[in-house]
Amino acid sequence: MSIILGILEEGLIYAILALGVYITYSILDFPDLSVDSTFPMGAAVTAALLLAGVPSPAALGISFVCGVLAGIVTGLIHVKLKVVDLLSGIIVMTGLYSINLAIAGGANLAFFGQDTIFENGLTAPLLSSPAGDFTVTIISFVVVMAVKLLLDAYLKTRSGYLLRAAGDNDTLVTSLAKDKGTVKIIGLALANGLVALSGSVYCQKQGFFEISTGTGSIVIGLASVIIGTKLFKRASFLKTTTAVIIGSILYKACIAAAMAIGIFKTSYMKFVTAALFLIILVISNQSKKKGAA
Amino acid sequence: MMKKTIAALMITAMTATAMTACGGNSGQTSTSAAPETTAAETDAAAGDTQAASDSGATALADGEYTIGIGQFAVHGSLDNCREGFLQGLAEAGIVEGENLTVLYENANTDGGMGTQIISNFMSKDVDLICAIATPMAQTAYGATKRADVPVIYTAVTDPVLAMLATEDRMPVGNITGTSDKLPVEEQLQMIREILPDAKTIGILYSTSEVNSQATLEEYKAAAPEFGFEIVETGVSGAADIPLATDNLLEKVDCLNNLTDNTVVSSLPMILDKANKKGIPVFGSEVEQVKIGCLASMGLDYIELGKQTGHMAAQVLTGQAQASELPFEIIEQASFYGNTAVAENLGITLPEELTSSAAEMFDSITN
Repeated sequence: MSIILGILEEGLIYAILALGVYITYSILDFPDLSVDSTFPMGAAVTAALLLAGVPSPAALGISFVCGVLAGIVTGLIHVKLKVVDLLSGIIVMTGLYSINLAIAGGANLAFFGQDTIFENGLTAPLLSSPAGDFTVTIISFVVVMAVKLLLDAYLKTRSGYLLRAAGDNDTLVTSLAKDKGTVKIIGLALANGLVALSGSVYCQKQGFFEISTGTGSIVIGLASVIIGTKLFKRASFLKTTTAVIIGSILYKACIAAAMAIGIFKTSYMKFVTAALFLIILVISNQSKKKGAA
Repeated sequence: MMKKTIAALMITAMTATAMTACGGNSGQTSTSAAPETTAAETDAAAGDTQAASDSGATALADGEYTIGIGQFAVHGSLDNCREGFLQGLAEAGIVEGENLTVLYENANTDGGMGTQIISNFMSKDVDLICAIATPMAQTAYGATKRADVPVIYTAVTDPVLAMLATEDRMPVGNITGTSDKLPVEEQLQMIREILPDAKTIGILYSTSEVNSQATLEEYKAAAPEFGFEIVETGVSGAADIPLATDNLLEKVDCLNNLTDNTVVSSLPMILDKANKKGIPVFGSEVEQVKIGCLASMGLDYIELGKQTGHMAAQVLTGQAQASELPFEIIEQASFYGNTAVAENLGITLPEELTSSAAEMFDSITN
């Protein structure tokens, strides 16, 4: 039971990150590596704020804003300074590392015992109830659904349509007399905002910030997006955002299963992830070919 | 489509099984591991614990125990902690392969993986979790808060700063263990005795490790008392170390190592550069002296692990609650010296240090 809860908690929290990666990777077609530092940035900001006595929901909001700012920087470097997309992300990722250390005042910052979105006066009755074990899952689920619904709504607005057009066919954006650069910046800002939000929720669950948590966030995000979108490509009743959330949970389930079975040493885990990744990509390419013929 | 997916997953699983079957046996013990793996592991463990049971002739403790050991990184000192921990348990009659099943996982410095490791342990109903290094201990504490699983940590430099204990060393929850706080003043005193004329000490540390920063601050605070000035250089990864070392060696009379994971991993390269300039490098624990540091007033991580193992045994057998045991530190710093290194540098280690040494090495292990 606890393993399923563990998977759900992790999967749901990382789903927010996956939704951010979905915006850049799938919608904008922009491989944004700044994610590896915006995730811990959300965590660093949250840890610092909570210790300063800021209420936990406000910490979520401020983390989101910080992520948005980081995304804007990536966008500006790419659009205004004409740096290749991959490199813009790497530049921001590298620079943010130091900024994250400065925000948290070190590589590790604990805030056990502070009120978080999971442990506060309002959730106390739930925590002590028989369903207490489900608290984190329930709250994470609410946050993820809120993010998903807002994102779905946004993608239907005029700005959202432009965002999708910018990835598919940027000439269209230009022909509508809109600046495709601005659209990209908006997309990156939103995406990194979500990633930082995910980092904030994650760190509130953990009770501490640790700089190394960001390592590999982009891989987790990409894997979730690809698993979700490729596996549920035919399931037209599912919104892509929902598929991405399920993808994130499936990804965490795969890791947990591999670990529980005990076939793999944890040091092989990255290899397993890579193999899984490749297989899903290959399968989806094959079925695409068949469909064409 | 679905069939293909399943087929593909099967293939990955089989490939990976084949892979582990060839390359396995190198560390993991798991309840569900293949019988031959378990046998090999038990032999190894028996070898380690033989000495302990010979000398003490300890009887096996009652009951069967399963523990999960979560280690943050692959690292000599941390590996020693784990080894010592199992020895400590064995001395108390809890022997791996006899009445103890050990699940061991390593997060390879990936914080996200740490969480999954702990929840995997919880799902297997372990009787106790041993968390090695600060982030792992914090993850374990966060995850076990509402479960009835005691956590014993080790290699946490400052449990108070990590919010795992209060100022009076008492645990904040069902979690306690040992700290690997370095004996900073003793180390400075030793450097003064070995190098009476030295003025500056160089310290390399990585900005991503909270333990290193804390220790560095202590060095800076204590150095003036012994007439030293600390020159520090922070690195953000192993790739920065060669340049940082060159730069630092220009400015200092000697180098002093912390237990910084990143820097220690690059120690052979640092030693090589320092040797070429004839600058002595001091270590922070026995392993570093073995591979070529001049001397160290430091910790023996095996001993630290043993001490931690004794605490774990008390908790497992129900003699004590983790929530009631204050965290422990190694009070006595021990001197380790390497005479081969001293000879190369043309330095004689003072008699009063060598006579009370815990261990002296006369060769450099590579």
